[in-house]
Amino acid sequence: MPAIIARDLSKTFKTKVRPSGRLAALRSLVKPEYRDVRAVKGVSFEIDDGELVAFLGPNGAGKSTTIKMLMGILRPTGGSATVLGLDPAEDRVELSRYVGAVFGQKSQLWFHLPPSDSFRLLGSIYEIDDDDRRWREAELIERFGLAPYWDVPVRKLSLGERIRCELAASLLPSPVALFLDEPTIGLDVVAKREIRQLLAEAARVDDTTIFMTSHDMGDIEKVCKRAIIIHHGEVVVDESMKALKRRSLSRKYVGVRYASPVDLELPGLSPVKRTPTAASFEVDTSRHSLAEVVRALASRGDLEDITVEDEPLENVIAAIYETRSGAEAQALGLNASKGAGAARAGEAASA
Amino acid sequence: MRERAAYPGNFIGSMFTYALFVFIFSRVWAGAYAGASEIAGYTMRMAVWYFIVAEVPSFGFGRFFWTLSRDMKNGQIAYLLARPYDYVGYNFAEKYGGSLVEAGVILVEGLLVGTLLVGPPPLAGGASSLAGGAGVAEEASRALLVGLSLLLAGALNYFLQASIAMTAFWLEENEAFFWIFQKLTLVVGTLIPIEFLPTAAATLARLTPFPYLSYAPARIMVAYSPGEAWSLVAAQALWLVLAAALARIVFSFGSRRLSVNGG
Repeated sequence: MPAIIARDLSKTFKTKVRPSGRLAALRSLVKPEYRDVRAVKGVSFEIDDGELVAFLGPNGAGKSTTIKMLMGILRPTGGSATVLGLDPAEDRVELSRYVGAVFGQKSQLWFHLPPSDSFRLLGSIYEIDDDDRRWREAELIERFGLAPYWDVPVRKLSLGERIRCELAASLLPSPVALFLDEPTIGLDVVAKREIRQLLAEAARVDDTTIFMTSHDMGDIEKVCKRAIIIHHGEVVVDESMKALKRRSLSRKYVGVRYASPVDLELPGLSPVKRTPTAASFEVDTSRHSLAEVVRALASRGDLEDITVEDEPLENVIAAIYETRSGAEAQALGLNASKGAGAARAGEAASA
Repeated sequence: MRERAAYPGNFIGSMFTYALFVFIFSRVWAGAYAGASEIAGYTMRMAVWYFIVAEVPSFGFGRFFWTLSRDMKNGQIAYLLARPYDYVGYNFAEKYGGSLVEAGVILVEGLLVGTLLVGPPPLAGGASSLAGGAGVAEEASRALLVGLSLLLAGALNYFLQASIAMTAFWLEENEAFFWIFQKLTLVVGTLIPIEFLPTAAATLARLTPFPYLSYAPARIMVAYSPGEAWSLVAAQALWLVLAAALARIVFSFGSRRLSVNGG
């Protein structure tokens, strides 16, 4: 049975309309008007035990709302969810025993207490036996390198140190599934790399199912094996990271540098950047042979350097984010949720 | 409690305001008692000591609404619900437990300031009681009941304020309810003993939970009689059970309507 199942999950918020003008404001006191905001519109997916899934989407796409519904914090307006065999809306407290969460923008630790106290308190909340807690703490302190600030109040930790503690704290009760909402937001490159490594290790060591939202492509590429992209409240892409990356292979970036100025006019191809001795080209490999482009460029002068790079994954995802509707995103030729199972099956077969 | 005690400097503002209030009221009562030895059964010393004890719940347990409302309005509640505990019970333990530190500090300050201003509190057995075994036992039982009554007043305060705060599940603006609650608490038993109110108002007040938020411990302190003290404590316990049930009902219905949009 999959660890997480969402079927046509939807959430509509009612937002009070604040009318302008004094008379209208007075009228709204007696008869307030509400506007429906459809944050999530019928999202469906299944996630297997131990899967590492990136849940992506632009701001306001419905990612956090979906996570909150899967954790039982919000009740769906429509559809259903099953997490670890439980209905989150009805069994929130029971489910929270098996599910961990890290929210990069909110601290779950006690701000004025050191991690040592927070862990002890969490041990009581999750009803972990004292000996088990101490054993697990020792393991997490070593794995996450928490010893230097184990007794320092959380308010005095850097963001990177705090997120390490948050992540370790979320793993204290050995959760079966871990929800991460932008866990590396605001971190510097070194801290991000460390957190990604720790996440990947946590998934490997504990076989934890990871469901992660992030705007950072590095997080997604380094940690996740599958990507679900939600936009305008709908799933517009659900496929393996390999398949998503393959989309970027149809575009290559070729950079060249010559010892002296050269003429770089190529039929049907204009440089995206150009100096007298250097240029870079965006090559659509469905229209131009990469080998021929490279050969042509190499023959133009005294070549000092040539680089061929894939299109960044970020560009592929940005193209999806820039669409104005779920239908438009799907029209980009990407796999929507309905075809996702088949797409992944094909992926597995080709592997 | 350890988290609350992390910044002991935060208590200084409350301690200063409390001392100022006690001083001002001792002067007010000095004026009110000029030419009168008793008002509604209270001497001036009793009235001052009444105020000293009645203000302890206001200063120690008076701000639950704001911290709970803040959690609800900034969306923190969504994250607090992600743990396997009873939300109402957990918050009671955290917020009420933390407030005991401040309430304790204010109580000790009150005992010192009161003694300096008007002398020690009236004897438990009245002016006729003498030092000795019986007198000491009576003082000890009063101290115990005042302590118990203050703890019950704090717990009752928490559950009533939590119930008002959780109306935020339905209403965007709920501070008006708390404002009314605060003012009623102040008038019904905090600033003045309810015996000072007109008879009809006092009778009506006894039917509400407000006298049990500050009147009960203050009355036990200044006019101790075991029978009345135990009946006040029993009434507090009854209101506490009702208020705790109300808070649970409000949470149970309200949490289904939780609306936290965005991350």
